[in-house]
Amino acid sequence: MQQLLTTTLTGLVLGAVYAAFALALVMIWRSTRVVNFAQAPMAMLTTYIALVIIEAGHSFWLGFVAALLAGLVLGAVVERVLVRPVEGKGDLNAVILTLGLFIVLHSVAALVFGSRYRSFPAPFGVRGIEVGGTTVALTGFGIFTILAVVVVMGLLVLLFRFTDVGLRMRASAHSPEVARLLGVRVGRMLTLGWALAAVVGSLAGLLIAGGGLVHPGYMDAVVVYGFVAAVLGGLDSPGGAVAGGVLLGLCLSFVSGYLGSELVAMAALLILVAVLLVKPSGLFATTAHRRV
Amino acid sequence: MSPSTPRTTADRWRRRTAAATATVLTCALATACGAGQDRDDAESPADRVGVTDDTIKVGGHFPLTGVAAPGYSEIPSGHQAFYDFVNAEGGVGGREIEFVAKDDAYNPTNTTQVTNELVLSDEIFGMVGGLGTPTHGAAIDFLNDEGVPDLFVSSGSRQWGETPEEYPMTFGWQPDYVIEGKVMGQWIAENMPDARVGLLLQDDDLGADGEAGVREFIDDQIVEVVSYTPSNTDIAPQLAQLQAADVDLVIGFSVPSFTALSQLVALRLGFDPQWMYTNVGSDPSLVGSLLATFSEGAVADGASLLDGVITTEYIPGVDAPEDPWVQLWQRVWDEYGEEGEPLTNYRIYGMSQAYTLVQALQAAGDDLTREGVVAAIEEAGGDFEGPGLAPFRYSADSHLGLSGMRVVQLEGGVGQPLTPVLTSDLGDAEVTEDESAAGDAPPESGIPDVEPVG
Repeated sequence: MQQLLTTTLTGLVLGAVYAAFALALVMIWRSTRVVNFAQAPMAMLTTYIALVIIEAGHSFWLGFVAALLAGLVLGAVVERVLVRPVEGKGDLNAVILTLGLFIVLHSVAALVFGSRYRSFPAPFGVRGIEVGGTTVALTGFGIFTILAVVVVMGLLVLLFRFTDVGLRMRASAHSPEVARLLGVRVGRMLTLGWALAAVVGSLAGLLIAGGGLVHPGYMDAVVVYGFVAAVLGGLDSPGGAVAGGVLLGLCLSFVSGYLGSELVAMAALLILVAVLLVKPSGLFATTAHRRV
Repeated sequence: MSPSTPRTTADRWRRRTAAATATVLTCALATACGAGQDRDDAESPADRVGVTDDTIKVGGHFPLTGVAAPGYSEIPSGHQAFYDFVNAEGGVGGREIEFVAKDDAYNPTNTTQVTNELVLSDEIFGMVGGLGTPTHGAAIDFLNDEGVPDLFVSSGSRQWGETPEEYPMTFGWQPDYVIEGKVMGQWIAENMPDARVGLLLQDDDLGADGEAGVREFIDDQIVEVVSYTPSNTDIAPQLAQLQAADVDLVIGFSVPSFTALSQLVALRLGFDPQWMYTNVGSDPSLVGSLLATFSEGAVADGASLLDGVITTEYIPGVDAPEDPWVQLWQRVWDEYGEEGEPLTNYRIYGMSQAYTLVQALQAAGDDLTREGVVAAIEEAGGDFEGPGLAPFRYSADSHLGLSGMRVVQLEGGVGQPLTPVLTSDLGDAEVTEDESAAGDAPPESGIPDVEPVG
């Protein structure tokens, strides 16, 4: 019974992180039709920035906020400086570019921060919560992880549905030509989209790092699982990304706990293939498949 | 259209093919000339590659970057410091030792490549201390096919020394995981006969060999076995499984980062069994430093989180500063080590391996050949006196390394012996007490002095 509970809770927390990461992938996909594989090392880099600040003796939350801001700037810079010049020159160019960036950022982090494992503190302690004598495998940080992802998804829904900026961002993503004719500064909207996505990605990086170990490759598995989660939920649907993330987190946790740790990566890929074969637009996609 | 412009697709292809062929030929020619020059200069048969009148070149593959780098990346710096120390005293038989460490990032594909570089382009005499079970497994066939001595693999897999007829050039160094498992198993059978035992295994030779050893003694006490894949850092489901099986003792055949992770997850789950870890994964200062950050509100300090953990020891480490070997290593490191960097157990490991290499080269004599060094280790290696607590098992029939270790319990980062030195071998060989090598002390000069064989 306790094993079931532990496996479920672990899966939920992990699922929340995959959800955040999938959300970041979806935001960029929706606005620029690029799958940003560099999301993982970008988040890793900003997590290291938080770590440096925390290790310098400042509070956890200062590091946390700084990492999110760094993500905002990094996302904007990457879009403006690197992705913009290859835009409109074939779909594959930008994707390959993000793969290249993946490797470059990895090396940069290894050079600047070293490639050894380092521990990343958690603000609420690392012991599980005790309920009536038994320990529930949920730390304060685990609860925070789930809440943070729910709040972020809520904020994004508010932004896209109910604000002027959100409407312009959607317009630029959906039909840049028309939006431009109507006076929307499409370029700026794309930069903003990348910046916000990088913030969400950084959040995922911080959430998975908290109370664990980080090294330059610690996000690499997450980019794969985040991508599977996004496809599972439908690359076009933020709500789907979150649902897909949680579903995948639970699935993988059960596979790991009851079938074996070595089957986790295979299970994720099986899910990916199954979804692509049976329902390529994702389980939760609402919009019709758009031809590019 | 001018006559020189290609008219058809076939034309264009012919031109491209010609250009490509020319490029390849030029490269091949250049390489051939370069290689030819080298051969002329060296004038040495294959058996003497890497040896000149005043140098011996050796090399190894190590994870200098990547997930396995913590700790392990320090091993080559230990090697280098000891070779510098020996070279300053005149080297081995008048030859200085040159050491090349290449980064394979613990990725077997890279290992194949850097091994090729070491053998074919750096032209090393032999490999020393090549690190890792999956990684070295990718290099062992090539090294043996090429007849390159493959000395003192940095891994406790049994495959390096179990079958010398298959891999005549390869030698293990540290005690293999099987005898470590046996030593642990015997201790548990004698001291915790009623404990329900769970195994936490890395899903490679480390876990499989360790389990085989442990099962020789406590097969009936093991109630649950879980394994983890190093690429998946979420091991909560595995520990939940052990917790559900209500085990009193968990034996971890894990690497240091996963030792730290298992301790962290256990805190999260409120899981508090007696822990026992393989020597490979229990370095108190490394694991402690990983855990120290979480100390606020959870534990007093990182190292004390490991208090009470049981592990094994086969060479003296930094926790025994009074040991004559550790004093030698400290002296060497202070003089030849990297400035500002502390002496660590991993550097001691590297220096200890380097010490054995120097012994092997001395035993092979001044007329140094690849076959000669292998024959010398087979003949004299069993009698090498070094920092190892137990003797080596080297002979013509076995290329396995040290034959034993002792069980220790960590207190404040220091290993307190629970048993004398226990030795054993693969299979059903008994575990017996053998303190014969534990009293060995280094010579005054710090440089081994082994008589050439034959």
